[in-house]
Amino acid sequence: MEKNSKQYQVKVNDFVFSFTQNEVMHADIVKQSPNDFHILQNNSAAHVHIMDADLSRRAFKAVVEGEIFFAEIKNELDLLIDSMGYTDAASTKLTSIKAPMPGLVLEISVKPGQEVSAGDKLLILEAMKMENSILIQDSAVIKSVAVKPGQAVEKGQLLVELE
Amino acid sequence: MQKILVANRGEIALRIMRTIRNMGIRTVAVFSEADRNAPHVLFADEAVCLGPAPSSDSYLNGDKIITFAKELNVDGIHPGYGFLSENAVFAQKVTDAGIKFIGPPPSAMRIMGSKLAAKECVKQYNIPMVPGLDEAIEDIKLAKKVAGEIGYPVLIKASAGGGGKGMRVVEKEADLEEQMQRAVSEAISAFGDGAVFIEKYVSSPRHIEIQVLADEFGNTVHLFERECSIQRRHQKVVEESPSVILTPAIREKMGAAAVMVAKACNYSSTGTVEFLMDDKLNFYFLEMNTRLQVEHPVTEMITGLDLVEEQIKIARGEPLSFKQEDLSINGHALELRVYAEDPFNDFLPSIGKLEKYVIPSGEGIRVDDGYTEGMDIPIYYDPMIAKLVAYGKDRNQALQRMRSAISHYIIEGVSTTLPFGAFVMEHPAFVSGNFDTHFVKSYFAAAHLKEAQEKKARMAALAVLRYYLDEQEKLKPVDNRSTSWKRRLS
Repeated sequence: MEKNSKQYQVKVNDFVFSFTQNEVMHADIVKQSPNDFHILQNNSAAHVHIMDADLSRRAFKAVVEGEIFFAEIKNELDLLIDSMGYTDAASTKLTSIKAPMPGLVLEISVKPGQEVSAGDKLLILEAMKMENSILIQDSAVIKSVAVKPGQAVEKGQLLVELE
Repeated sequence: MQKILVANRGEIALRIMRTIRNMGIRTVAVFSEADRNAPHVLFADEAVCLGPAPSSDSYLNGDKIITFAKELNVDGIHPGYGFLSENAVFAQKVTDAGIKFIGPPPSAMRIMGSKLAAKECVKQYNIPMVPGLDEAIEDIKLAKKVAGEIGYPVLIKASAGGGGKGMRVVEKEADLEEQMQRAVSEAISAFGDGAVFIEKYVSSPRHIEIQVLADEFGNTVHLFERECSIQRRHQKVVEESPSVILTPAIREKMGAAAVMVAKACNYSSTGTVEFLMDDKLNFYFLEMNTRLQVEHPVTEMITGLDLVEEQIKIARGEPLSFKQEDLSINGHALELRVYAEDPFNDFLPSIGKLEKYVIPSGEGIRVDDGYTEGMDIPIYYDPMIAKLVAYGKDRNQALQRMRSAISHYIIEGVSTTLPFGAFVMEHPAFVSGNFDTHFVKSYFAAAHLKEAQEKKARMAALAVLRYYLDEQEKLKPVDNRSTSWKRRLS
């Protein structure tokens, strides 16, 4: 890598990409207007339009072929801080199950203290007249059930707590 | 007719009212408290509030709708699709109130509204049907016996069903009891009728339906087929006409069968006869939908007819102005249903606000929608935002126009089926025409969309970095060595 090329990391939705300044400056990018870019990468073409830019937070909103993306740029200092572990370590253990959509609780299949394993049904949520079984992804022990049959829930509302 | 009330909401209410207005007839909208700002209310000449947001308190309250219709001296009621469109009791009450129901006669709705009665009605016409038990089943033991005789996999269907609700595929006997309970409970909640029946599950099936049109004088024609095999959760997402696999001979046979089904129940207005087709091009009668279908625009595009206009003319007592031999297929049309659903997450409903909403336009592109930027998608109703239709002189051109339209349809704030549509339109199986109703199961995984998304995300990353670096460059002093700058800065 060239000596004076700064390293950047860009988080776009759930994806993370790393580029050096040189890579960006040498990529096949045509600037059509201050906010519009045409990019060729391995012969694939895309029009990218920057809808919003917050330079102080280095946060952007871009449209690629009709799809909207949220992007955040991190520079070398940000990356250094991240690597020193000052940010929260993501907890991997699931402690609660939240409603993936708004709906109506039809039926609850578990009770506190019960041991469940991956694929077991916790409850049935009705949304837009469809019944959706909410399953558990991993084995766990039910700590508490936060809803009752017949109850309407919002997206993200706590349904079941796990030990 | 001087004034027509549209007993519906969203894109279909708007689409129907546009035709009504074009015919020089006044429009009346109905709405729930959640829909005061909706485009169908803003469009109409008159509008009445039916009540609170839940459908049962508003759009399903037939008596209230009829009371308002009488007060406002309405001549006709168009039910759209969903809600009261296939409710024979409502249609009868409308008729009894001296108002014209713009749809089929209640008697035909009653017969076709029950899949079992429908099978009984068309039995004598030699129309092929899927093997199964032609009566409602409750007893799980009997169900197990019947399923064993037909052979697994079997399909449990709600007799009053539609739209995939109350429908379950059962692969093995061990799952039958649980799935049957689910189907019964879904059927009760969706249709108020828990009757279910069992039939053979046809493997590699294609879902092909025939549009029929009949006046009140017994003149019945068909408007060719619609291919509706691309489905998720047994609900259609992509439709097209004509179908790539039908030969003129099979088309004629299916058309004739559909006309016979319509005649069997003395049908008038628009209707759709649904068939299941196996991999050997055998077709089986499934059911008749006694309403205007969601996917009717593809038929309009290839025939040049306005189906809502035809419905209104028929309701006014006019005979059809054309015969079967006057009709032909011109070009090719595709439709994508744009649902507020997350294709990355098992097509679960995605509720929210349309932060940004820009529709595509261009030659051969039609968008039937009922939303504008800034509106919320309410949780009370069907999550469909729009129907995106692309027409071309042939299938390739229609496909290309659809791909381009999808990439120019900008929706922010909710997840939609647009990325899924892009996937379908590019997929070799769909492009070649060699697909069946298992398309989603066989070919689609969220990972595929993720892959396509990652490519775009990479492009976005490059663009924002380039933008950022250019902006950084602008902030730098023009010439670092300039002493005057240094002086001024210090």
